[in-house]
Amino acid sequence: MHSPDELNSLRTLILAPEQLEIGELKERLDDPEIRAEELSRIIAEAIVIRASRDRKLATALLPTIEEIIRDSVKRDPKFLADSIFPIIGPAIRRSIAESLRAMLESMSSTLEHTFSWRGIKWRIESFRTGKPFAEIVLMHTLVYRMEQLFLIHKETGLVLQHAAAESVDLKDADMVSAMLTAIQDFVNDSFSAKEDSSLQNLNLGELTIWIEQSPRTILASVIRGNPPQELKTALKESLENVEFEYNSALNSFNGDAAPFEQVKPDLMYCLSQAQKTDGKGTRVTSMPATIAKPKKVGKKDNPILFIYIAAALCIAIIVVGYIFSTW
Amino acid sequence: MIQKKICMLGSFAVGKTSLVSRFVDNMFSDKYLTTIGVKIDKKVITLQQQDLTLVIWDIAGENGFHQIHGTYLRGMSGYILVADKTRASTLDTVVSIKKTVGQAFHDTPCVLLMNKMDLAGQWDVQESTIDKLSEEGWDVFRTSAKTGQNVEEAFNRLAIKMLEK
Repeated sequence: MHSPDELNSLRTLILAPEQLEIGELKERLDDPEIRAEELSRIIAEAIVIRASRDRKLATALLPTIEEIIRDSVKRDPKFLADSIFPIIGPAIRRSIAESLRAMLESMSSTLEHTFSWRGIKWRIESFRTGKPFAEIVLMHTLVYRMEQLFLIHKETGLVLQHAAAESVDLKDADMVSAMLTAIQDFVNDSFSAKEDSSLQNLNLGELTIWIEQSPRTILASVIRGNPPQELKTALKESLENVEFEYNSALNSFNGDAAPFEQVKPDLMYCLSQAQKTDGKGTRVTSMPATIAKPKKVGKKDNPILFIYIAAALCIAIIVVGYIFSTW
Repeated sequence: MIQKKICMLGSFAVGKTSLVSRFVDNMFSDKYLTTIGVKIDKKVITLQQQDLTLVIWDIAGENGFHQIHGTYLRGMSGYILVADKTRASTLDTVVSIKKTVGQAFHDTPCVLLMNKMDLAGQWDVQESTIDKLSEEGWDVFRTSAKTGQNVEEAFNRLAIKMLEK
């Protein structure tokens, strides 16, 4: 038999170095100052690694950063104004230059459409059909236009995100998404398609609906005209990115589409269109801001009217002048 | 906003579409029911200070579950069974549907709507039968698509059950 003292001595003899290490580790874990000191050594590298992997860090920090900026502006607006002052000038100059370029391009296009034989034909067509001139121009020059995108949760048919070009006649995205899913189920059931096969295209007059699928999501794109195949590849890639970046949100989806808000800018970027440019090829534009808006284009018709009126006045002055001079 | 998919199930002509029409704003016409066998409607309700979008799949009524497109039920958060108080056979169908659906969708909330309560003179289902179902744990609502009796209450009850789940 050994006495407790002997056992303690033996334990100390055998485990002393480990006990010392455990003690040190415990102290490091319990002391916030030491933990902060240690974290400060790796936090920058950790942020870089995480930011390169996915967008969760940005998503997590966004509300805090917005709050900080709001508080800063509230407390001292001058500080932020001074900070962004160096970039305001170039930003304004760039914006003005861009607006002027767009205006010149639009005027050039308008003049071309107005005075060319083709333009006159389109005017007559517009008059005959009662459609706005801008719509007739768009109809004749449009190669394709991505009008709507629906990101749908595959299992439930619920819409995760929806983006639409301006001036598109919008229906309820929730119901359209569900109906698209139902149609897909109906086709699969009715024709006993294999599990991995799916409806990929729907055609209706000028409209094409492409349906891209990933394991948990569907991306349905509504396109007017004849879209190029490269666009399909781009959409597939977008869908793959969603699957990758929103993996956990998709796994835990319970009907709340809030985690997918961040997808919207990406979808908006996909809303591209291409127009013919008078034998000079095709001009592809993306971003919704560049998408034709018939009503606003209609407003751009005002300069044409002005030109007509000015031309009529000039002719009238010349005629009146000629008549007076012959008297 | 949280969205939930719910399905309406029951025999032909029990009043499913009329009940839905009473409750929601429609976008698609009823012809979808006879073509692809389903019509989608939507209703936004506010429960516990929280907006909830119900995407309602009104599935065409047949005389048994085997004739329903099973895939339409995939991903649903709850379902509404509808029987016609003037046709006892429709209640039998509903019981059969509940049994089959219950096997595939464990613990998915559901409510039973005993419809056409306004046709008092033509009732075929005994009140005692309905009471018995209630005692067995069924959430039963006596409804009328014509008068709107208990329609909102039934949908709200299902919504609460889905949120509580």
